[in-house]
Amino acid sequence: MYGGGNVFEATKFDDLEQEDPVKLAEFEARIARGEKIEPSDWMPQLYRKQLIRMIEQHAHSEIIGALPEGTWITRAPGFRRKLAQMAKVQDEVGHAQLLYSAAETLGKTREQMLTDLINGKSKYSNVFNYPAFTWADSNIISWLIDAGAIVNQMANAKGSYGPYCRALDRICAEEAFHLKYGHDAVVHMATGSPIQRKMIQEALNRWWPPIMTFFGPSDKMSMHTETLMRWKVKMASNDACRQQFLDMYVPKIWELGLTVPDPKLRKNEEGVWEYTEPDWDEFKRVINGDGPCNAERLAVRRTAEERGAWVRRALLAPKATYVRPLA
Amino acid sequence: MSLPLGLEVGTLLLKWHLQNTKIIKPSDSRLATQNSGPTSMSIESLDPRVTRLQIEPEPNPLPKPALDQLITFEVFHQKKEGLPFTYVGPVHAADEEIAFLFAKEQYSRRAMCSGMWIASTEHVFVSGYADDSTSVYDTMPSVYVTPEGPEQSYEIFHLKKRGKAHQHVCTVTARSSEHALEVARQTLNPAPPVVSVWIIPSIHVLRQEEDRDMWATTPEKKYREAIAYRVQDKIDRFKAEQKA
Repeated sequence: MYGGGNVFEATKFDDLEQEDPVKLAEFEARIARGEKIEPSDWMPQLYRKQLIRMIEQHAHSEIIGALPEGTWITRAPGFRRKLAQMAKVQDEVGHAQLLYSAAETLGKTREQMLTDLINGKSKYSNVFNYPAFTWADSNIISWLIDAGAIVNQMANAKGSYGPYCRALDRICAEEAFHLKYGHDAVVHMATGSPIQRKMIQEALNRWWPPIMTFFGPSDKMSMHTETLMRWKVKMASNDACRQQFLDMYVPKIWELGLTVPDPKLRKNEEGVWEYTEPDWDEFKRVINGDGPCNAERLAVRRTAEERGAWVRRALLAPKATYVRPLA
Repeated sequence: MSLPLGLEVGTLLLKWHLQNTKIIKPSDSRLATQNSGPTSMSIESLDPRVTRLQIEPEPNPLPKPALDQLITFEVFHQKKEGLPFTYVGPVHAADEEIAFLFAKEQYSRRAMCSGMWIASTEHVFVSGYADDSTSVYDTMPSVYVTPEGPEQSYEIFHLKKRGKAHQHVCTVTARSSEHALEVARQTLNPAPPVVSVWIIPSIHVLRQEEDRDMWATTPEKKYREAIAYRVQDKIDRFKAEQKA
C-alpha cells in the first residue's frame, strides 16, 4: 500500500537555473524518448530531491501501514484468515525494504531515512494515523486503502526512474493478492449476518473520510508540478487519481448494498464524480502529529529500532575470535 | 430498534475501549511529573502486541546511534531451472550468508524460484550505461592491451533495456574485470542494445542452487494468491438472493 503525492513540499524551483543546460537537455531528451534514468546517470538536483522524498515517503507508508493491519493478526477470525493477514503484513514490510533500497540509489542512506521517520522529520501516508477499531476496519483497509495504493502505484510504475520502476513491478504483482483478499473479506461481511453487515458499514463510515484524503489535496498546478510531470516523477494529478479510484470502487461498494457516507457523492453527466470536499484542516492537523495514532505508530517503530539494535551490533563484529581464558 | 445482544455488548466494549485508550503524545512534558509507576505511562493499544511491549513514549527520545548501516549485497534469482539468473535487487547484511537468508525471504517468498546468487556490491564491476538503442561495448576503445596477472573466471550480466534487470549471459576467463569486459565483447559480439554490463569474479558469487527442496514450499501457500479468492461467485450469489 502507499499514500500518494500528498505531502510534497516544493524544493526551490529556481535551483533548475543552476543546472548545466547541455546535460539537462540530454536528460530531458532521454525521458522524452521513453527511456528510464538509472542511478549513475546525470540528473538535476530537483529530480533527485523529489524522488528521494517520494520514494522515502512511500517506504515509510509501507512500514507504518503494516501496523494498523497488524492490529488484528492475533484475533483474526480463523486460521486461514490469520495466515493471509500475516502474509499481507509481511508483504508490506518487504515493500518497504524494496523502496528503501530504491531511494538509497539516489544517495540517502537507509539509516538516515529510518532516523528521519523515527524523529518525525519524514512523513508517511496520513491514513495510517487512524486506528483499526474492529476486524471490519482491517478489512476496509485491506480492500480500499490498498485499492487507492494500487491506483497510485500503477501510475508511478510508468515513471522515469529505473530502480523505482523495478521495485514497483514487484510490489504491484504482490498487491494483486492484497486487493482480492481485502475485497473477499469485505464481501464476506457485507453478505453475512445483520451484525456483520452493520460492522462493515460502520467501518466504512469511519474510513471514508481518511480514504478521500488519501490522494492528497488538489494540486496547485505550478511550473514546478509541470516540470515534475514532464520528468515523469509525478505521473498523475491527485484529483485524477481520486477520480479513478471513485470510478473503480464506488460501484463495487454499492453492489454490496453498502452506503458511502457522503450524501453529495454522485457521478455527474460529464462522468466526473462530485463529492463533499474532505476536511483538509483535519488532514493538516493529523499529518503534523495531532492524530489519534501518530504517537503510537512512531513509538512502535522507535522501540523496534532500539530493541533490535543489539542484534545489528552483534552482526557488525563478526571478526571477533575466541581465545581461551589465560589463568 | 432493538439490537441483537451480541452487538450491544460489542458496541459497549468498543465505546469503553475508545474512552480508555490513552494515546500519549511524546511532546507532552507534563507526563513526566504525572508518572507514578514504571508502567503507568505505557501505551495501551488496540493491538495487544503493542500493549505487551510496554512502550513508554519519551518526550525527548535520544537520537538513534549510528551503527547499523550494514553493507549491501546484490541478488540474482533464477525463476525456473534452465532460465538465466536475473537481478532482483539488493539486501543489507553483515555477510553473505545472512544476505542469502534475507534475500531468500525478500525475493523468493512470493514468486517461483529455483536458485539464487548473492554478491557483495563492492565486487560488482559496472561498465557504465548506454542508451536503449546502443551498445555499451561500442563505447570501449578498439585497441586493448591484455594486462599481466593470473587468470580467473568472471560472471557477465547484460542489461538490455533501462528500467529492466541485468541478466546472466556467460562466464569468461580473464585477468581483470576490465579484461573480462573485453573478452566478453570478443566472444559474444552481441548485437545492440546492451545498455550496461556487470562483471563479478565467480569466486565472489555465493551460489544457492544445489538444494532444490529449499525452494519447494511456495506453491502450498495458496492463500497468498489472488486466484484463491473467488469474490465474484459470492457477489453473484448475494445479488441473486437480494432479487429473490
